[in-house]
Formats: sequence, structure tokens, C-alpha cells
Amino acid sequence: MTQTAKAAKKTTSAKASATKEAKAKATAEEQAVTEVKKPAAKKKSALAFPFTSIVGQEEMKLSLILNIIDPRIGGVLVMGHRGTGKSTTVRALAEVLPFIPRVKGDIYNRTVEQYIEMESGTKAASAIKPEDVKTEMIPVPVVDLPLGATEDRVCGTIDIEKALTSGVKAFEPGLLAQSNRGFLYIDEVNLLDDHLVDVLLDVAASGKNVVEREGISIRHPARFVLVGSGNPEEGELRPQLLDRFGLHARIITINDVAKRVQIVKLRREYDEDPEAFMKKVTRDQQKLQKKIVAAQQLLPQVTMDDKVLTDIARLCMNLGIDGHRGELTITRTAHAFAAWEGKTQVTMEHVREIAGLCLRHRLRKDPLETVDAGEKIDRELAKVLGEAEAAA
Amino acid sequence: MIAFTDIVGMDLAKQALMLLAVDPSLGGVVIPSTVGSGKSTLARAFADILPEGTPFVELPLNVTEDRLIGGVDLEATLASGLRVVQHGVLSKAHKGVLYVDSLSLLDSSAVSHIMDAISRRAVIVEREGLSEVHPADFMLVGTYDPSDGEVRMGLLDRIGIIVPFTPVNDYRARKQIVNIVMGTRDEEDTQDELRMLRGLIEAAREQLHKVSMTNEQIKGLIQTAISLGVEGNRVDIFAIRAAIANAALNQRTEVDDEDMKLAMKLVLVPRATRMPEREPNPEEMAQEEPPPQDEQPQDEAEDENAPPDSTDADAEEEQKDEPDMIEELMMDAVETELPDNILNISLASKKKAKSGSRGEALNNKRGRFVRSQPGEIKSGKVALIPTLISAAPWQAARKAEQLKKGIKSTAALIIAKDDVKIKRFRDKSGTLFIFMVDASGSMALNRMRQAKGAVSSLLQNAYVHRDQVSLISFRGKHAQVLLPPSQSVDRAKRELDVLPTGGGTPLASALLTGWETAKQARTKGITQIMFVMITDGRGNIPLGAAYDPTVTKAPKEELEKEIEALALSIQSDGIASIVVDTQMNYLSRGEAPKLAQKLGGRYFYLPNAKAEQIVEAALS
Repeated sequence: MTQTAKAAKKTTSAKASATKEAKAKATAEEQAVTEVKKPAAKKKSALAFPFTSIVGQEEMKLSLILNIIDPRIGGVLVMGHRGTGKSTTVRALAEVLPFIPRVKGDIYNRTVEQYIEMESGTKAASAIKPEDVKTEMIPVPVVDLPLGATEDRVCGTIDIEKALTSGVKAFEPGLLAQSNRGFLYIDEVNLLDDHLVDVLLDVAASGKNVVEREGISIRHPARFVLVGSGNPEEGELRPQLLDRFGLHARIITINDVAKRVQIVKLRREYDEDPEAFMKKVTRDQQKLQKKIVAAQQLLPQVTMDDKVLTDIARLCMNLGIDGHRGELTITRTAHAFAAWEGKTQVTMEHVREIAGLCLRHRLRKDPLETVDAGEKIDRELAKVLGEAEAAA
Repeated sequence: MIAFTDIVGMDLAKQALMLLAVDPSLGGVVIPSTVGSGKSTLARAFADILPEGTPFVELPLNVTEDRLIGGVDLEATLASGLRVVQHGVLSKAHKGVLYVDSLSLLDSSAVSHIMDAISRRAVIVEREGLSEVHPADFMLVGTYDPSDGEVRMGLLDRIGIIVPFTPVNDYRARKQIVNIVMGTRDEEDTQDELRMLRGLIEAAREQLHKVSMTNEQIKGLIQTAISLGVEGNRVDIFAIRAAIANAALNQRTEVDDEDMKLAMKLVLVPRATRMPEREPNPEEMAQEEPPPQDEQPQDEAEDENAPPDSTDADAEEEQKDEPDMIEELMMDAVETELPDNILNISLASKKKAKSGSRGEALNNKRGRFVRSQPGEIKSGKVALIPTLISAAPWQAARKAEQLKKGIKSTAALIIAKDDVKIKRFRDKSGTLFIFMVDASGSMALNRMRQAKGAVSSLLQNAYVHRDQVSLISFRGKHAQVLLPPSQSVDRAKRELDVLPTGGGTPLASALLTGWETAKQARTKGITQIMFVMITDGRGNIPLGAAYDPTVTKAPKEELEKEIEALALSIQSDGIASIVVDTQMNYLSRGEAPKLAQKLGGRYFYLPNAKAEQIVEAALS
């Protein structure tokens, strides 16, 4: 009880000014049906273990980096043994992400173009000019979707306080709004409740979040890179959700003693004094960030021969992959990978490196199949490559 | 109130808690123990040895999601017109202890939230219009009775110390426990002892940073973890911290062998998935033969516990810093603790399910109320309070609208369709365990008795969970269903007792029969199915033998092909498996591990020496 009382007191004092403001506004806004709440102050995030100090697990790290270089790859699913640094790595990502421009203070992280397009439609006033819109640079957002999240917090809902105090129906954006143009991370994604999975599938497919409720009608862009992690032993993923992920990285226990000693040493050093540790790795972190930005800038110049494209198509066909998402993902990922390597031309060598990541989860399950998915991809890849060489 | 120092026995558990008190970053202590051992008394008494004012929060098993994580306090919110936040149990345990009694019975969604809080050291509240981060850096102390089932591996992975399970049966200790309960001890003595203990822990906390550990020692712990087949890399840190904490507790500045051994015992061995490989040595093999039947197991146990300390310590002293020493230490730690843990943990670790249903799917009708979600009135039971919470903010606006329309409402509350929240329940739909017991001739030679013991204890476990069991034996030409899926564990036990042995090993037939049984069960709505195969994995009778008396043999490749095809089908059908290898170590050609691999299941080696005693203990 005391805890509650304390909490109540704290909340009251903190929000007192906001309440006054709301009351003053209330009369003026009685006509306005919908109003959007200003973004809340950024939650102070605890220091995360640095990305560059994570030993091993290259497949997962590469997958994440490729998704930063080209968010259209469609996210990554990281599945594997517990205690192997899955969530540590994803949470470390925030520190090495580049900056993006957005409309100043915009809760949806919109670009100027998106802002003008959306707002011009709704406001009776004449079209907004680009030069009138102020922008700011923010780090690419990483939003954590906890398992216990409720649907209203994910999609956004009425601002309870405003509604209670003044009867104004104000929209309070949810996690989907915050994650626009950023990363949406779900740990233990295979345990996510079905109704939340439905919401995610819907939004991921359309790139838009729509909330319609009693006079609130909000539609905002929600394009995010979906990152999920989990341990397959705890449950399987719904096939529709599985298909949404561009890449599928696998992660296993490191059994190399030297590497494990290194992991332990770094971790202990970090635990001893996180600030000092972060200072020590600042240069590495910045270097990585720069390399990512360079790859992003190089990406538009990366080209791919039709021949490579044909080979990719043949590979997917031979593997019996339904639809075209396989080809599309390989093509995009290979471009990003080439840019990451500093190349402007995609070769089959690039494709070889990333094909497993792109296709592993798209192979049809054959109960009598004895070969592991990775091996099967490698085998078909070798065939396609062999044919290509023979032709040349 | 019984104080920490009053508790008799459970020395290892006590030591584990003291290590945690010294270094809370060990994350927690899990204590498996039988009913009436005083484990929960001990856990509650843990508060005695912590600095004053440390929060100690006990988690009720039936906790709902919003109580666990926190949410909107309806009463205060409506009264004040401001959103008032109620902290959840997890954040109330911040900088203190979260205690869970019967940890293995905790709902799996609650377990997920606890896991998440541990890994973030905070709770993220994204609920009902709230978006907050509450710090929740706590030590988790959990106790449970292994016969109630096991704790989820994902959770155990985040907790530093797992106390090895030992059934308490020492009547002298019990008598002393009774004396204490009767209040025969002097209160002042107790307080003095506690003060001393607290001082000791305080001193150890200060010492913690001064303790050093050699590279060889770190490597030794990691090598041990690898050779025990411990999954993941997180345990390395826990093992190191435990060793250092013990050194600090003993006011040393260097980690020594005792610390290492304790760390292995409390951190690594309980997570073992396999016996470490040991160089085959003919002399030792002779010694490792199972004891003759008439020998009293209890005597043996006592002998082993009593003398070894002095001589061993000397020997280790000489070999310091050599890899051999590490190996010796490990074998020492392993041999005393391994067998029971493997049997215990095996069930929990591989409950594989489809689409996150985890065998306890959420539904709208029955089970335990877990959370509410938007829905239609007719689609389930209305969750009244969540509905009110979601309706409350709209009242002012709705009344204003009605006034505008000229409707005069007499209702105190206007509830719209969108407000309605329905209850979601979690229903535990049991698992079907299909036991397949190899009763072929090779088993008679080996360890039928042990296998029976192991199955009995697993059956006991299944009974507690209201799971269904089915028993299939295979020997001679084909497998036979001794007990179709039923909840009668007793019948299964009776069948098992009279199970004859001898003949060939129709492994493929067993798999097929098991699969058919599973398919039938599916039509009756059982979704979770697990094969428990107790065999040496050496199938030598083809499927055809069941139908055609002239078929008695088949080439090895053909046999393997049959088994492989079946195993893969079973795996892709979503059936989880455990293979318990009954083969003698030195005879093994790795058939059983291969079978486990094909089934995508777990492999366990029914360990030599003490499995029998332990199973007996579990059954008595």
C-alpha cells in the first residue's frame, strides 16, 4: 500500500505541470477530435555491452549489420542455444547505429517528405513547405517489444491522463510508432502471444499502422526492421512470421576454450567498470559505425550482372522455394554484403556467403530429408556455380 | 521464526546462499529438495544473513501478469484523475531477493517475464497506456520439489547456482530440526551467531575485489563446462564468480582447489548433459562394474562420503596448475553429483511445442486467468476490471457527446464495444509420455534393473503432473504396447515389474508402434507427446519380422535406413524425444547418441554406479 501511495505521489508531482497545461488547453481544444501527444522524454537506457567486444557469433553480427546497411532486407531471426549472447548482441547494436534525419520532435520519426505528405492531407491550411519544417538528427531507434506488452501499447491508444482530466481524446502513439525507420526487437519471439503476432504481421506487410476507435483515426508509417531471437527448444515460430524475416541466423555454444576465456575476460572487465571499458572501445565502435555508414553510401552504386541474377533465380528454383521473396532477399542482401566489403559489383562469391542466411528458413520441410538445410543450400549453390563456370 | 543458523543439514544449500549473499551478481540460487526437508524455511531465513533493509519479496504462484510486471492502479487512477502506476512484484524485489517456492510449478509466462527481468535487470512495462522502465535487479532464490517437475532450462541458465539434489533422510538431523521448532534453542545465541555470520559476509564482500584467479583456473572451469556438455557460454562467468566468492568468504586472496571444486559442484555439474569422457583404463573398468546385488547400497554411500578429503588434497597440492589436476578436480566433483541430476533435468529440458503453445495454450474458457485482451462479449468471459480501466478514460468525452446529441444518460458509466476485454486462461493440457523400453537380450546383460528404476521414477514424475503415460516394450520380433495411453501410472509400473527380457532388438518396430500410438493420441486432443526411449540403440530386427515369420535378419544398412526414416518422420511430426542410453560405456559404439540425433532429441547416458541407488531413493 505504501508503495502505491508513494508511486502516486511521485507521479502526481511529476505530472503536475503537464496537468495544468492540459487544463488550460482543454477549453480551446474541445472541438479538436484528435490530437497527438508529444513524444515523451527518451527513456534512459542502461549501458549495454559494446558490439565490437562480442566474440564470435559472426553470422548474427553480419546479419544485423547488413540490415543496417539496407533495412529493406527485412530483418533477422536469431535462433539458437541459450546463453550465447543473442540479446546482448542485439541490444549492443544501438551504440553503433548511424544517425538519421527526422522532423524535429516527431514521434513517428518521419522524414520531411513523409511529414508533408501526411500532414498536408489533414490540415485545412495550405501545403507545408519543406523549408518550414525543422529537422534533427537522431540515432536509428531500437525499440524493445517485451513479451508482456499489451496491444494498446504496441499500436497506440488514447492518452489516459488527458482523457481523464479534460475529456480530450488524444492519441498516444505506441511502440510501432517509435520503431518507424528503426529496429523492433522481440526477445523470445517464439513465445509471443498470437494476437500480437497478428498485429505485427499486418503492420509488417503494409508498413502502416492504423488505429480506428471512437473518433480517433490515426494512420502512420511503421516500417521497421524486425529482429527476433529465441531458443527453438522453447517453441516454434508461426510459419507466417518466420517468412517475414529476411534473414535467419543460427547461433550455437562456442566450444573453443581460448575464445571462451576471452569472452569471460572481456565480460569481467566490463562488469568491473563499464564506463572505463566503453571508453577503451570507443575507437573500435566509431570505426565500425564509419564502416557501416560508408557501406550505406556505397550501396546505391553497387550493381549486379543479369547473369548473377539468373544464377540466383536458378538456385531458388532448384531448392524449390515458393514465391519470390527468396530471390529478392538474396539480391538485396548480396548488394548490402558487397557494399560492406567495399565492392561495387556483386559476384557469386558474395551470394555464396549470404545464401544460407537468406534461404535457410524458406526451404520446404521434408520429413524424410536427411540433409541439413545449410548443406542442401551449399550443395545446390555449388551446382549452380559449377554450371556457371562450365558455361563460361 | 527459524533463523538461518538454526537450520540443520542442507550444508551445500547454505553455502550456496552464503556465496550469493557475498556476490549477488551470481543471480540466484535454486534448491531442489524433497518435501519436508526445510528448504523453504532455509530460503526464507536467507534474509537473516543479508544486510538490514534488503527487500525480500515472495512471489505467489498464481500471480497474474499485471501484478508481476506492474500496471495501472485503477483505484488511485480514478480517484486522482491521474494515471497512477502500481509497481509489479519484480520491481519490488529490486536490490533484494525474489523468492519463489515451488519454482517448477510457476506458470511459463511468469517464468518468461522473470527471465526477461533478470537479463535486463529491469522490467519494461508497456501496458495499458503505460510505458515505463522499472529497475529490477534482484537475486532469485527458488526452491522446488523435483517430483513436481523441473524448472525451465532457460530460467536455470540465468541463475548462477543450482544446488545438487540430495534427499534428506538423516533422522538425527530431523530430530534437531524438531528441537528447534519446539523452541529449545537460546534466542540470544542465535542472534549472536547471526551477527557473526553477517560480519563474515560483509568482510567477504569487501574482499571480493582482491581475489585473483589464474588463467589456468579459468581455463579449467571452461574446459569442465565443455566436457560436461553444458549449453551456452553464460555459465563460465557464474562458475568464476562462485569460485571467487568462496575464496572471499574464506578470506583468501587467491582461488584454490576447494573453490574450484565448489564452483564445479554448484554451477557446472547440475547443468551437465553428458558424462565427461574418461580415458578407458582396464583396471578402472573392472572397478566400475556394478556392485553385486546383495551389497547394501547405504554402506557404500557412507564410505564414499567419509574419508577421501585428506589424501586427495595432498595429491592435488603437488600437481598444481597442471591440466591433469583440473581433470581430477572435475571427476571428483562430477562423480559425487552427476547421475540424479541428469535424470531430473532430462524431462524439463525438451518440452518442444509448436507455435509457442508450450503445452499450455491460452484459451478463452478454462484454466487459470492470466491476462485480458480485447475481444467480443460473446467470445469469452468478460474481464470486468480491465474493461472498466479501458472505459474510464473515455467517460468525459462520451458524456459530452451524448449531451450534444441530446441524450440524457442515467448510466454512471458508458461502456462501448471497444472497451470490452475478455479473460485469457492458461490451461495445462498434459503431455503424453510414451516409454519405450528395450527388453532385448543385450539389455538383460546390461542394466534392465536400472532401466526399470529409472522408468519408475520418471513415471512418478508424470503422475504428479497429471500427464498420461504409455508403455511399449520391444524384444524378439516386434514391439508390444503394454499399456495404451492412460493416467494410470500404477498399471504402467505393474507391467514394468513383470517385463521379461531376451531376444533381438526390433528398434524400428518400436519407433513405428510409438508413432502410431502418438497419432491415435493426437486424435484425442493430446498435442504434447514425448518419447522416452530406454535402449542401447542397437536395433537388429527389421520391421518386416513383425509380419513375416521367415524374416529374421536384414543387412545393417537396411536396418539403419528404416530407423532413420522413421526417426525423421517422428521428429518432423513434432514429437520430442529423450534417449536414455543403457549401454556400458566401454562397449558403446555410439548407437544411442546417433538415435537421439536422428530423433532430434536429447541423449542421456544412464550412468554406471549410482543411478540405481538414486532412483531407489526417489521411489522410497
